[in-house]
Amino acid sequence: MEENAQYLYITDRGFKALVKGLLKERRVYGTVRKDGFPAFKEISGAEEIELVQTPTHLSAKEFLFPQREVLLKFDIKDNTHEAVVEAGDQAIIGLHPCDIRAIGLMDRVFSCGAQDVNYLARRGRTILIGSDCMPDRYCFCKSLGDTDVDSGFDIFLHRLKTGFIARTGTEVGADLIRKFAGPRMPSPRELTELEGLRTRREGSFTATLEAPPEALPGIYAMSDESPVWERIGSICYGCGSCNNVCPTCYCFDVRDEVRANLNDGERVRTWDGCTLDDFARVSGGHDFRKTRAARLKHRFNRKFRYLSGRFDSLFCVGCGRCSRACLVRINIAEVTNELIRESYKK
Amino acid sequence: MRDFERPKAAFFSFTSCEGCQLAILSCEEALPEILKRIEVVNFREAMSERSDDYKIAFIEGSVSTEEEIARVTKIRERADFVVALGACATTGGLNCLKNRFPMDDVKRIVYGKDAGQIETVPARPIDSVIKVDYRLHGCPISGKEFLAFFADLVMGRSPRTPNYPVCVDCKMAGNICVFEKGMYCVGPVTRAGCDAICVTYGSVCWGCRGYVDDPNVNAHRETLKRYGLTAKGVAQKLDLYGGKKQ
Repeated sequence: MEENAQYLYITDRGFKALVKGLLKERRVYGTVRKDGFPAFKEISGAEEIELVQTPTHLSAKEFLFPQREVLLKFDIKDNTHEAVVEAGDQAIIGLHPCDIRAIGLMDRVFSCGAQDVNYLARRGRTILIGSDCMPDRYCFCKSLGDTDVDSGFDIFLHRLKTGFIARTGTEVGADLIRKFAGPRMPSPRELTELEGLRTRREGSFTATLEAPPEALPGIYAMSDESPVWERIGSICYGCGSCNNVCPTCYCFDVRDEVRANLNDGERVRTWDGCTLDDFARVSGGHDFRKTRAARLKHRFNRKFRYLSGRFDSLFCVGCGRCSRACLVRINIAEVTNELIRESYKK
Repeated sequence: MRDFERPKAAFFSFTSCEGCQLAILSCEEALPEILKRIEVVNFREAMSERSDDYKIAFIEGSVSTEEEIARVTKIRERADFVVALGACATTGGLNCLKNRFPMDDVKRIVYGKDAGQIETVPARPIDSVIKVDYRLHGCPISGKEFLAFFADLVMGRSPRTPNYPVCVDCKMAGNICVFEKGMYCVGPVTRAGCDAICVTYGSVCWGCRGYVDDPNVNAHRETLKRYGLTAKGVAQKLDLYGGKKQ
């Protein structure tokens, strides 16, 4: 382990002191159990956090790209308007490697072309703290490349039986650890424990893709006529849950809302989803993706093909949230494997 | 904003609890603004005066007597624009539960020896009798949606009816899916716009807004069965709010 120098050991008390220190200066969101299931939630004390190892049902994107945000306030009578950027200092604790990679992709989306000031202002004031995970039966990040991250976070915590190994990814993160957590160099025994955890995790994946990640855009490009789309389209609700739980689905709608005085109003951005019935309906009632099959095909292609051309990266991080949330059990890894098998026959 | 003659509006109650009109009256801060824009000439729950001269008619309730059929038809003749207020008016609502029985049985069960004095027909949404221009869904309607609709109406914009399932509102609210919690709901086929209020407060979606425009009811039937409901249970879940699922 040549990179030992980047690794620090902090105690459980050091972790709590870190959270407490963050709470003094910013809003803190952490992983908790909600109705027994892993979820992100705003916390007010370190004891509330439980570093849950399986993925949260919803991703952490709402803290950077809220479900609903005001972009503009306007006054019709005075013909005036004022841009609104709602951003404050915040920290997100308990992000898994897939979540951190997803935020990296969102950063690229929202800074590509016209800069999205609302997202970027919020992102610039956000500290990201990662923590270890264990795959459940829907996780397949291993098939998409890395199961771990080397960057994209300020601090990454590996839970040991006692205390944590902390990796720092930015100067900000290193400063926070020094200031609050009382770090020391890890002992060889602690580093061995970390290696053991990593090995156990690597061996715990059950969902896998049957082709390497670099082959996926090509396989999807061959799949336009596949019978898979009609089959999954026939059972899909078009409920948008896959979009809403996805850490890299970033589509939104913008509307002007006017108050009952017919004068003051707000321009509001809300999440939208490409699997919803009205997503591709435009003026005059024309709808260029009328069926659920067409909409699902679009979503899958966005994850594995369309965006890879623009950003040189797949847009699925393998977190499995869409499969987990789907009541009719459309499973993104299984669908992709079907397309892979079809492509071998061609 | 230029001055204009306020359009006259009237509110009517049919077979209902009048809770949707109460939801409007509860928008207290906005009421003075609303009254600057429309002149209310008829509103049984809020005022004594009555007039039959109106352009906009808000109708709450389902139609469940011959007399109501005649009355709603008359309202349609007088009004330029008819708005159905709430589940009873838009889908028939809970009142349609009685349609599962013969009308004579219903009268006897509810009114006993006085059943003979009661006249009733199967309950139905108002658009099964008259043309409806706009629907505000829900049991009761949401004050927030009413205010947005009001602003659109008076400004001449097309009001937008949500056409996505309650699952969207649930995810927006950060709820854990009720199926994960071992309960059943009809959210995946039900029109949203309610902010998933029932699920957020620990209950399930009962479907009060009726179906989305293109619901995958077959898929939902399969889901409910897979999670352990019987065929009868599935039918009861899907049919609770009204025979007609707008």
